[in-house]
Amino acid sequence: MLTAVKNQLRVCLLSLKYNIMREMVNKVTFLTNVCFMVLNNAALLVQWFILFRLREDVGGYTLREIMLLWGLTAASFGLSHILFARVFSLSELIIKGKLDAYLVQPKNVLVSVITSSTDISAIGDLLYGVALACACSPGIGGFFLFLLFTVTGTIVFTAFALLIGSLSFWFLRMDMLENQAVMGMISFATYPDGIFQGISRFLLYYIIPVGMAVWHPVHMINSFHAGTLFTVLGYALLLLTAAVCVFYRGLRKYSSGNLMTARM
Amino acid sequence: MQAIRVENLSKTFRVKKKEKGMAGSIKAILHPQTEKIQAVNGVSFQVEEGEMLAFIGPNGAGKSTTIKMLTGILYPDGGRVEVLGIDPTKKRKQLAYQIGTVFGQKEQLWTHLTPYDNFRFFGAIYDLSEREAEVRIEELAKRFELGTFIDTPVRNLSLGQRIRCEIVASLIHKPKVLFLDEPTIGLDPVVKENIRSLIMQMNREEHTTIFLTSHDVGDIEKLCRRIIIVNAGQIVLDDSMKKLKEHYLQGKGVEDSAASDVSLEDIIMDVYKAEGRTAAV
Repeated sequence: MLTAVKNQLRVCLLSLKYNIMREMVNKVTFLTNVCFMVLNNAALLVQWFILFRLREDVGGYTLREIMLLWGLTAASFGLSHILFARVFSLSELIIKGKLDAYLVQPKNVLVSVITSSTDISAIGDLLYGVALACACSPGIGGFFLFLLFTVTGTIVFTAFALLIGSLSFWFLRMDMLENQAVMGMISFATYPDGIFQGISRFLLYYIIPVGMAVWHPVHMINSFHAGTLFTVLGYALLLLTAAVCVFYRGLRKYSSGNLMTARM
Repeated sequence: MQAIRVENLSKTFRVKKKEKGMAGSIKAILHPQTEKIQAVNGVSFQVEEGEMLAFIGPNGAGKSTTIKMLTGILYPDGGRVEVLGIDPTKKRKQLAYQIGTVFGQKEQLWTHLTPYDNFRFFGAIYDLSEREAEVRIEELAKRFELGTFIDTPVRNLSLGQRIRCEIVASLIHKPKVLFLDEPTIGLDPVVKENIRSLIMQMNREEHTTIFLTSHDVGDIEKLCRRIIIVNAGQIVLDDSMKKLKEHYLQGKGVEDSAASDVSLEDIIMDVYKAEGRTAAV
């Protein structure tokens, strides 16, 4: 069992290495990609600086909390797109029958698929997220929590995309919904939860789980609460388990395809 | 010993039906309709270890679907499959260590990497140590004459060079059964001949069982000792290459088979036509 995990990890790391090698063929493009992603994120935060000159808090958040929110969203989004970028285009792989190459390999098919691609510009997101967290001076404990919640946030983003993408085994054109759902989740994650009430708040905490990915964590970095920590950890685990089950259930319905394809 | 055992194998696909034009698209949303396509219908056969078998048929006959069920890519709807005594639906990973696949129309190699880096990656996939992978790459590179382009990125290789690399990648772990789905598609005659001799050499030296689908009569004639023809998801002919001509002519009422000038291509075309289909052979 341990050897199997070690061997799978070896393949994942090689895959990551080869993906980065591909992007680094042109160093200028590689660095520009990363730098522009940082600048792009920074530009989006400017509106909040302007808003907080006009009022002290928005939806119960101060500027520091907004920065933490953006930092955690960018870091989780970045890490999930560095390690598991392919999960965000899973629908396309299923619809076009591109899982064949992974199914004939003696490795865990899901892990092999989702780790087979890396979004290099996401390195910019991750760096930006960590830099914002440092700028908020959360202290050593707070920074440790930030790193922990970056991991749980990555799990929630990845599992959510996996769940939606896996529905393509049953429904056509889920690629559009997959893209909208993930981008919608990212958009909501950059606003304070205080501005959402009632049903929308419930949906954003449990169905499109922005609350579990970033809102609860930001509150806990400010004021730690063990019960909420277990809620977040439990939810991340539950969502991941559900997404994995749906993927494998759907895999039995996989119909492959005969399109001529190349592994890029 | 049997390398492959297939009993009553079936697979159906549900395909959406849509009428022409925009009205048809709207109707398809309001009243979606699907059609059941029987891709494989009650197929049974066995392949002995070390055998070279041609599994052919016109487009849409169910060849690729059958290969995909044998390799664990697709789940059958009915019947039983065993490859090297392993059920692909239950022990896909265990089976994958013992089989190799080459899909002529689908690249498995990373195009931005060199063949050497690709082989190292495949070595890791099959849990070979660095030393084992190195020895195997050297051996295969020599046999498949990859020396001049083993360090050139795959995207810069010719089609013939790429297919040779695809085959090497599928052999890195010394598979006992090799599934080749149209491996010579798009290649020129010289390269085709070269690929065929390499496959034959591998079968001779490593006793690898070869399961081949191809529309190329040359592949079938030169490589295989047995032929299975499928059409509309069913086996319509299963015979040895040696006796195929004799049985065919007997069926036509010709007594002296040696005197008759009939080619394999004629026989295949005739079988396809008899089944109501023609295909580019």
